[in-house]
Amino acid sequence: MVVLFILIPFVLLLVLNLPFKFLNARIAFWLSVVLFSTQALFVLINSLFAWSNYPAVLGQFLIFKLWLDPLAFIMLFTIAIVVLVSLLVARSTITTEKRSFNFINLLLVALTGMNATVLVADIFSLYVFVEITAVAVFVLMAIEKNKFAIEGTFKYLVLSMFASVFILTSIAFFILACGDLSFSEIHNAFLANSNIILLNFAIGLFLCGLFIKCGVVPFHGWVPDAYSEAQSAVSVLLAGIVTKITGIYVLMRLFSSVFVLKGSFHNLIMLIGVISIVFAALAAFRQDNIKRMLSYSSISQVGYIVLAIGCGTPLAILGAILHFFNHAIFKSLLFVNAAALEKKFGSTDMSIITGLGSQLPVTSVTSLVGLLSTAGIPPLSGFWSKLIIIIALFNAQQFTYGWIALLASVLTLAYFLFMERNIFLIKTETAPEGSDGVPFGIKFCEILLAAITIGVGLGFPFILNSQILQLKGLLY
Amino acid sequence: MIEAFILLLIILPLFAGVLSLILPRLWRGAFAVILSSVNFLIAVYLFKKELTFSFPWAGFGIDFSLRLNHFSGFIILAASFFGLLISLYALNFLKGKDSAKQFYAYILISISFVNGAVLANNLVVLLFFWEALLLTQYGMIVIGGRLAFRTATKALIISGASDLCMMAGVILTGYLAKTLLISDISLPLDLLGSLAFILLVTGAISKAGSVPFHTWIPDAAEAAPLPFMAFFPAAIEKLLGIYFLARITLDLFKLNTNSILSSVLMIIGALTIIIAVMMALIQKDYKKLLSYHAISQVGYMVLGIGTCLPAGIIGGIFHMINHALYKCGLFLTGGAVEKQAGTTDLAKLGGLGLSMPITFFCFLITAASISGVWPFNGFFSKELIYDAALERGKIFYLAAILGSFLTAASFLKLGHTVFLGKVSQKYKEAPVLMLIPMVILAFTCIIFGVFNRLPINNFIQPILGIRAAGHNFSGMPANFMLVIVTVIVLLAAFLHHFIAVRMNGGAIRAAEHIHQAPVLSTIYRWAEKKYLDPYEVGIKLINKLAKIFWRIDRGIDWLYGSLIVNLTFAFSRVIHKIQAGYYIIYVIWSLVGAFAVMSFVLR
Amino acid sequence: MAIDLILLSALLLSAIWTVMTIRLVHSVVGLALTSAILAAIIYRLDSPLAAVFELSVCSGLISVIFITTVSFTQRISKERFIVRRKERLLRFLYLPFIVIIAGLLLVRYLRIPQFSLPLSAQVTDVRLVLWNMRHLDLLGQAIIIIAGVFGVVVFFKEPNK
Repeated sequence: MVVLFILIPFVLLLVLNLPFKFLNARIAFWLSVVLFSTQALFVLINSLFAWSNYPAVLGQFLIFKLWLDPLAFIMLFTIAIVVLVSLLVARSTITTEKRSFNFINLLLVALTGMNATVLVADIFSLYVFVEITAVAVFVLMAIEKNKFAIEGTFKYLVLSMFASVFILTSIAFFILACGDLSFSEIHNAFLANSNIILLNFAIGLFLCGLFIKCGVVPFHGWVPDAYSEAQSAVSVLLAGIVTKITGIYVLMRLFSSVFVLKGSFHNLIMLIGVISIVFAALAAFRQDNIKRMLSYSSISQVGYIVLAIGCGTPLAILGAILHFFNHAIFKSLLFVNAAALEKKFGSTDMSIITGLGSQLPVTSVTSLVGLLSTAGIPPLSGFWSKLIIIIALFNAQQFTYGWIALLASVLTLAYFLFMERNIFLIKTETAPEGSDGVPFGIKFCEILLAAITIGVGLGFPFILNSQILQLKGLLY
Repeated sequence: MIEAFILLLIILPLFAGVLSLILPRLWRGAFAVILSSVNFLIAVYLFKKELTFSFPWAGFGIDFSLRLNHFSGFIILAASFFGLLISLYALNFLKGKDSAKQFYAYILISISFVNGAVLANNLVVLLFFWEALLLTQYGMIVIGGRLAFRTATKALIISGASDLCMMAGVILTGYLAKTLLISDISLPLDLLGSLAFILLVTGAISKAGSVPFHTWIPDAAEAAPLPFMAFFPAAIEKLLGIYFLARITLDLFKLNTNSILSSVLMIIGALTIIIAVMMALIQKDYKKLLSYHAISQVGYMVLGIGTCLPAGIIGGIFHMINHALYKCGLFLTGGAVEKQAGTTDLAKLGGLGLSMPITFFCFLITAASISGVWPFNGFFSKELIYDAALERGKIFYLAAILGSFLTAASFLKLGHTVFLGKVSQKYKEAPVLMLIPMVILAFTCIIFGVFNRLPINNFIQPILGIRAAGHNFSGMPANFMLVIVTVIVLLAAFLHHFIAVRMNGGAIRAAEHIHQAPVLSTIYRWAEKKYLDPYEVGIKLINKLAKIFWRIDRGIDWLYGSLIVNLTFAFSRVIHKIQAGYYIIYVIWSLVGAFAVMSFVLR
Repeated sequence: MAIDLILLSALLLSAIWTVMTIRLVHSVVGLALTSAILAAIIYRLDSPLAAVFELSVCSGLISVIFITTVSFTQRISKERFIVRRKERLLRFLYLPFIVIIAGLLLVRYLRIPQFSLPLSAQVTDVRLVLWNMRHLDLLGQAIIIIAGVFGVVVFFKEPNK
């Protein structure tokens, strides 16, 4: 059953490339929209039990060993939403027929890769699907074929290659130490406490690889270039979900439920998280391009998630999952806003575009929602997840980290307010002429994502009680 | 059924506020007035009832739990009263102004949040509504016009920072008490307990606008719409901040007279009185002068509650409600002057008393109240505070008396400049809709003064419960010396004013000799340049820090960049090959990072 | 042991040559040579099947494709060749220093712990592993090839601006 999440996009990909004349970009677009929204709705509607309790007889025929738990459910939902948004944005930013057809195909590859990454239960398969996602994104990033995009892609490619080397080496150590690569076997090896030196070595290497994939300081070199030089729709995809699934989700999955860590690893991960939070937040102050600023803010927010994962208590992991979801949503929102600006003005340089509040009302209001949520202002969704992370840190007696996380959120608010003021709130005397040139697709995405951000924020207590707290027992 | 009413206090104004954004613009004001009167009626109905209400909310022991008792009912009654008056006043004041579009929505939503914060019986619920008020505060300031954005951000950051302290305090309190239910918490003031106390008090007095969290208020007086000033800093925030301060000192923690924290609170109070009133004395703008007094009077309340004596606490709470009455009234007279004369600059005003007699009358009563003239309400609450302060230490009493002297002096200056003196121009009296709230407030001041037994015995003394049982705090103070000193001080203020006017030439220059006094003039100059404003200094510091970190970042970049560049230069002397190679820097970063991680793992 | 050391040093040398040389053809030959030595090492590590794969795909198939591609290119002039070679040599001159410093650091600070290798798992036939145990990875292979095809389409089939 679960395997359908991987097979259906794959089959759709194959079908779209059959040599029939009527299979053009238009058909591909609508089919993909249906597929992505179906995935999102399916996850929303179906309770967990409908999926995991399929008849045992059926299980014997499934040749793939997958697992599906509430965490994977949240991930599948997030993936579907962000990929859908990226597709809608691409419809209005990519103009040529041929190119948008290729875009959709590659998006399907990326979707397959990400879905599979979420569902696999084997560390090597995990690596394979992470690479598939990465390869699809490399091509997507370079789809514009201008000099900067290719440069950004190249940087991502090279760094990603280093990550692959680290991860592959680490996998070799795992097979040496555990004899098998499935999650359960590795977990057992940790519990049996044998070959602990080898395992630690393997974890260290794996961590290095994952840090590059997550883009945390000091492994972040590729992030600003890749996020800001890529095509808008690809920025949404890359910043919104790809780095998160290939980096953070894997970190979360492995380090919360597969590996059994000793204390110093927790400290290491938390340290990296805190460095990212502070360094990137300060770096964001001095950016004059919106997309670059958003990239640095992304690094900083990822720092929060990494910090929470490092803390490792159930509450912290819960906070990390929530912040993952929220951040995916509101960072996509902000990149969609950037796409709207780029579409209208052909630039995202803050010195050029000022005083847009009256011209782009939807964009300006939704960006305010996104920014405030990023900064953790109640009652938006970002507030709750940050609150839970900070409470978890204090509960775990990590007072220093807790305070730094708390104070850094003020910094976030400050640099975003600078940005918001520059772009939207200053009233210019000579406002550029012309009506609201933002296409409907982008507006729809903005409203959808802002609605999710506000909705999750307002309904948070109820969501927490009825849905998310049920996760806690199933995380381990 | 009756539990539903308590929820109604939160839900009704919130939905009404959102709804009013959809309504046609002309109806919004009337709609707000109707809804705030409904809210007032509910508050009256619920007053003196004891109710609790709770439903599961966020897990982790965080229930959405509300509790109505005597104290919270009293605060809600007062807040809804002011909400009603201000929306009535705004009907005419904001007519045709751009800011009227959103103002009513904000006022209704604020009422809802205030009700929620006051009713909350769970610290997290309290915090939720408390922080939500930041949003409406931000919105209300920002609709004030071009200058307002900066001020609104300043207010947001100051309040946000102190609310962060409060959040930390809530977490710590919850951790220490093992519960978040306010009614169940009673903590000793040991080391961690004191820390939690300080953090929570920071939030409370910052909401009330005490020094050093006050600096946005005078800025807002210039930028924000006037009804905001009359509603938020003058009334609602005082009610809320002092309410929470009283709850902290009375219920959450057992503060007593021996505690050093009690003295700390009193010192903060005394400093607030003196610093703010000194600033108020030299202001040359009606609204700004009032705003400094709004800060200064908080000092009395904090001082009163900080004494930990029944008389002081009752005086503090009584002063809170009195202050809300007369300061709200004073701001409204300011609004009337602004509406009719088009300015609040003292240099351009004069002789308004004849053309606006009712406004002048309201001003006289409220100004007499704030200066503590018998038999208005301010006199009685101040006497209670003096009594308690004198018992705790002469220095506090002196500070309070000095503050009283300066308050009287600055209001003599204000009244003299605006309402007396040369008649420069003929103005009309303010419209009836604006006069009604002012007159109501002025009469309430008189009633609370002459019949002070009424509020003290009905509203305030029951809050303290058995601690104040058997005492009688109404009427003239037992220690008659206090009254004599007060009268002497007030007479001195009069005398000082007339001599100063004669000497300095003109009522507006009545405080010039203080302004120009040797040491004070320097301090004043610094204050005017905002050197003494923690927020401005902090922002400068953060900017510098950001610059430094940016430099460091650039420096590292430069180090890597030019290290590679120079190596390449030195060894290859091929310049144009460099651009392609920058990704190597990122690789080096990552490898250095990986090296660090691995050496950490293998150590 | 000695033969392993020789093989490893040969691997290193040929890899360096592959990177350093200026002629593309030399580079391709170097790559093939490196792959061949790697295949020998893999063979010595008791994985004959993997060695055969490495030899046939990396040093055989890929080299053929590369050489075909290189045959479409043009030679550069003699003078430019000399200049280029000099530049190239100079550019990599600091490489040995970095390698030495990195090596010193590794030896000095990264104390690689001594551990005894666990007994290797029972030897299973690689075909068994591939077809019976790792279906998902095969699916992944298929998808990654498709992604590669799209890469080629995007880069080379779309008309340039």
